[in-house]
Amino acid sequence: MTDMPSLGPNDAPTVVPPTPAPGFDDAGFDDLITGLARWSGALPDWPPARRVRAEWEEVAPRLDRARRELSRVLVVGVIGGTGTGKSTLVNALAGRDVSPAGDVARPTTVAPVVVVARDVDCSWLALDEVGARVVTSDAAAVANIVLIDCPDPDTQGPVTLPPAGGAQLPVGGTQRPSEKNHNRDLLERILPACDVLLLVATAQKYRSWSVASEVAAFAPGRPLLFVQTHASRDADIRDDWRRELERQGIEAPAIHRLDGLEAARRAAAGLEPEPGFAGLVKAIDEELVGRAARRVRRTGALDLAGWFLSQALGQLAPLQQPVAELASGVAAQTGRLEGLMEKAVAGKLRASRPAWQRVMQEELVERWQGGPFAMFLHALAGLGSLWPKLRGGGLVGRILSGQGVPTVATGDGAWQSIEEIGLAEADVEQSRSILVGLAARATIGEPMVGRARLDERAVQTSVGTLMERTGHWLVGGVDRLVAERRDRVDSPLMHGVCEVLFGALIVAVLGRAAWNFFYGHLWQGHPLGGLGFLEEALVWIILWGLFLRWIVFARLRAGLDRDIAGLVTRLPGARLVDPFLHDFAAAANTSAAFLETGDDLARRHAALEARVVEGRSTLGRLKGHTP
Amino acid sequence: MAAIPHDSPAPPRPAATSRYVAWAGSVGELCDVVDRLGGLAAELGAPSPDGAEWHGQLFGKLRPQVTREPVMVAAVCGGTNTGKSLVSNVLVGAEISRSLPEAARTRCPVASLPRGLAKSVDLAALFPGFTPQAWSSDTDALGGSAAGDDLLVWREDPVGRQPARLILIDTPDVDGTLRENWHRAEAVRNACDVIVAVLTQQKYNDAAVRDFFAAAAAAGKSLVVVFNMVNWPAQRERIAGWYATFVAETGAAPLAVYAVPHDFARAESGTIEFFHLPELTGGTADPAAAPVDLAAVLAGVDFDRIKLQAMEGAFRVVLDPSAGMATWLDAIESSSREWHDARGVLAEEAQVRVELPSAPRELVWNEIWEWLEPRRSSIDINLSRLYRVAGSGAAWVGRRIGIGRTAEERRDDFTAVELSALKQALSTFIDRLDGACRRSPRLRALLGDTLVRGDRAAWYADLERRHAALPMVSDDYRIFVRGELDRFSRENPKFLQVLLTGLSLGSVARPCITVGLMVAGAAAVPAAAAAGHGLTTLVHTAGDYVVWAVAPLAGEGVLGLTMAGLKPLLERLFAGWSAERSRVLTETLHAVVLGDRLEVIERLATAGGRPEVARARRLLYDCGREFSR
Repeated sequence: MTDMPSLGPNDAPTVVPPTPAPGFDDAGFDDLITGLARWSGALPDWPPARRVRAEWEEVAPRLDRARRELSRVLVVGVIGGTGTGKSTLVNALAGRDVSPAGDVARPTTVAPVVVVARDVDCSWLALDEVGARVVTSDAAAVANIVLIDCPDPDTQGPVTLPPAGGAQLPVGGTQRPSEKNHNRDLLERILPACDVLLLVATAQKYRSWSVASEVAAFAPGRPLLFVQTHASRDADIRDDWRRELERQGIEAPAIHRLDGLEAARRAAAGLEPEPGFAGLVKAIDEELVGRAARRVRRTGALDLAGWFLSQALGQLAPLQQPVAELASGVAAQTGRLEGLMEKAVAGKLRASRPAWQRVMQEELVERWQGGPFAMFLHALAGLGSLWPKLRGGGLVGRILSGQGVPTVATGDGAWQSIEEIGLAEADVEQSRSILVGLAARATIGEPMVGRARLDERAVQTSVGTLMERTGHWLVGGVDRLVAERRDRVDSPLMHGVCEVLFGALIVAVLGRAAWNFFYGHLWQGHPLGGLGFLEEALVWIILWGLFLRWIVFARLRAGLDRDIAGLVTRLPGARLVDPFLHDFAAAANTSAAFLETGDDLARRHAALEARVVEGRSTLGRLKGHTP
Repeated sequence: MAAIPHDSPAPPRPAATSRYVAWAGSVGELCDVVDRLGGLAAELGAPSPDGAEWHGQLFGKLRPQVTREPVMVAAVCGGTNTGKSLVSNVLVGAEISRSLPEAARTRCPVASLPRGLAKSVDLAALFPGFTPQAWSSDTDALGGSAAGDDLLVWREDPVGRQPARLILIDTPDVDGTLRENWHRAEAVRNACDVIVAVLTQQKYNDAAVRDFFAAAAAAGKSLVVVFNMVNWPAQRERIAGWYATFVAETGAAPLAVYAVPHDFARAESGTIEFFHLPELTGGTADPAAAPVDLAAVLAGVDFDRIKLQAMEGAFRVVLDPSAGMATWLDAIESSSREWHDARGVLAEEAQVRVELPSAPRELVWNEIWEWLEPRRSSIDINLSRLYRVAGSGAAWVGRRIGIGRTAEERRDDFTAVELSALKQALSTFIDRLDGACRRSPRLRALLGDTLVRGDRAAWYADLERRHAALPMVSDDYRIFVRGELDRFSRENPKFLQVLLTGLSLGSVARPCITVGLMVAGAAAVPAAAAAGHGLTTLVHTAGDYVVWAVAPLAGEGVLGLTMAGLKPLLERLFAGWSAERSRVLTETLHAVVLGDRLEVIERLATAGGRPEVARARRLLYDCGREFSR
């Protein structure tokens, strides 16, 4: 088709408020159209969705027109191969010779002829742009329709596809007269303006490839009428034609058979029309005029929407599986990275025994106040704090020493700062590279997803988010773990027992000292033993205190490894590694949602269509559009 | 037209076919070279020659007919439901093909052979692409509906009037809705010499019909035009106009034109009449002339002249510089140039520098030490032992206080870092390949499927598996070290002396060297290791990296200062170790990612210069000269 302007409405002539058609759910249809419009533009970065969008832009104006121009008369395009008697038929319908017809030369009709009744306004058809000629007719058959006698599609060359391995028509290379023939181009600019196609064929042409390909291109959303002409010369091929149409996916409930020449002769002579022709006129009157016109437009629009959906979903269908595979790939890679992280974090936590000890000691010391053992513990903690705190490096160390999440270093440092929790650049890149492959399978690429290697800014943000999330998660987990353990020993009984046991030794030492002094020295008169005994006793007290402390901490520590393992198994729930793969996850979700919405729209369309099935006429239509 | 005698059919003259029989050699060679280049052209992505006119003429006309006893093939062709079968039956004189009111019913060609010819002619060779099947009923041609089921139904002339060397064929339509079936009519058109073009007033100017006959005219086929279903004589005057359009559109110069009146009864009984219209081909009109017997007319044509004309026409199509075989060779060459460019893109993109961790120092040094052991002085050995004892003591202390690692742990650390580096290199490589495919459509055609459909997780798994199976020091490397050291000592006779003198220095300096080398040490995709794998593109650049990466870094070691002469040797030994290790990456790339595609690219990039192409060009040139003589 050339890029010349096509025949179409200049402006919407009259906007008629839609009146409900029987069996037709107007609100539902409007909802469907709104849904389709939103859906087709939902994912502009995904190439398949972009193609859907492009197709929608072709279809949308037609649907819009069908909704706005409900009560305008229908435009019937008469199409068929050259020599099938299109013009003769148009003359017969118009009741006089309005279009040149005959066997002088092929093609006969080179400019479209538009037949309208006197009182019908067809100014909204941009007729000049295709060189159309308008003629008026008083015939009853065309009183309420606009009839266009179209040029043929089969005389314009070449029909051969672009040749493989060289030009197809080599020798000579003289100018052929048909090079000036643009009938098919012209036809393709007229047909968009037609609401209904009247397909004319003869025994020689009903299986013509060039006609069939034009019909296939323009049948979506356009009801069809079928006429076999040359009835007086040719055999009745309607059954075979119907089979052929069936093969092309076209439903043809009725095919009219008539002789155009005879019909035109009788029309001109004012005689009673022959039965075939009368049948066609009756069909036009019953199926295309008045309320029927509205129904034709509505069902045509619904068919067009259905055709658009089936085309779109047909293209999208092969992507269902790749999109699902991408989603499961994202899950698998997230799991892989989390597994690496679990292993490293667990190892790191297990290896930080002194840090744990210190945290738990601080907790206990804070809670146990008063009493000699508590004082002993306080004293030990105080002594410990004299040593500079062994500051743990890295994220885990800092969290265990209560210093919070470190800031992310720039450049390569960003990766180094999370290496200790098991995420190396190479591993993240491996996961992303695998997902790039899966995404490509679903034709998802940039900008929906990034590349395997994250750029510096992305690394900075992702690592920052990861560290922040991991920090919070770890702080929470460690706090909970510490609190559980603290609760194990932080009972008045345990405290009391420790105090009693520790206090008992002190009491025993003091008692012994008192005994020695009061009984031994004052009563018995033994000399004072000096401070030697107390020094010795102090050592025993300290040892006893340390022993008790060891028992308490052993109880605190028991099962720490198991609890750490338990803690890290909850790591996936924290969705820590998501920042590294979020683009793939988002792409998988949005594309899956796009496919799902398409299916949903198709279901809605099917429901709408089920309601109008009874109202269908004898007009033909392109079938099989319900996906 | 002299070729169509209407009055007294002359007996066929003896074959005067020496002219084109002389072409047999050239035709054979042309076919041979096309066959040879066919696979390569397909691989190159050059358009397939199968649908091209020249290919049809070369393989469908010239090859089967240039060496065989000349038979003349006349085919009845036209659009759907124009009455081809009816005309064929009349020409044969019996119903070989059922004529039906429904269109496009004849699905495969039906040939009528003169009596006795079936035994002497090889139909499969004469009509390449078709499977001959003996006729059983007039409905044979209606079957075989499936595309690809290219039957040629044949029957010997039941009446016995068909001339001895004339084969008549009823062909399927050329414009039906099943476009995939058009090729059958085209194949018959290629093979035939005379075409009976059945036209009607509805179809004479249809583009599909015109194109079909224009190709026939361009290939030198003789046309006999039959206008069927004419309102006779009312439309007699119209025919001149139709015919003029047809001739102008197709460039044909038909031998004769006939009109067949539209007559139900005659069509039913197979007795349609052919009225000759001599005024259209330069004769004088005779409105009163009686219908002619078209079968007799065909029998009387000058077989040899027509045959020669058809053979010449076919040759002309093949040799046509703007549309013949030469265009195919052009396509091959231009595709090859595109592959050449694609190879350039790949060479540019697919370079990855692998930053491997420094080799565990003791591994390389142990190998060198083992070689040196029998050549060392006792003093040096003792010094060395002293270091070893001191070293292991220090290591023990280090391990106890938690800052030292055992040799095994160090190796585990090393292999983990090394695997990371290799995997990262693989990721980068895949990314670069993706980029190369984006840049070059040719590469996308070759590699795109692997990159998109390939199981990338399996590639990484393969790399991990190979890496895990890799010994720390392979036998290959051991042999390489011994060889290098032997060669060095041979080339430098004073080497051992220098080395022995310097050994005390060497052993004293050893800790410094190893520290220095720990800081240094890097390598890239292996060079020597992969040379046997055909990864030429990779390997070339990779070799540069090895030199680039190792030389300056190793040179900074104390080793370089103390034993300047040994520097290149040690560089090679360390680089060789790393190269040996990273060989697994190349193996993975070769075995699971790229396969033999690099060789394919190499082959296609150089295809334009293949001798077959040059031979084809020369043949075309020679044939052109021979033909124009």
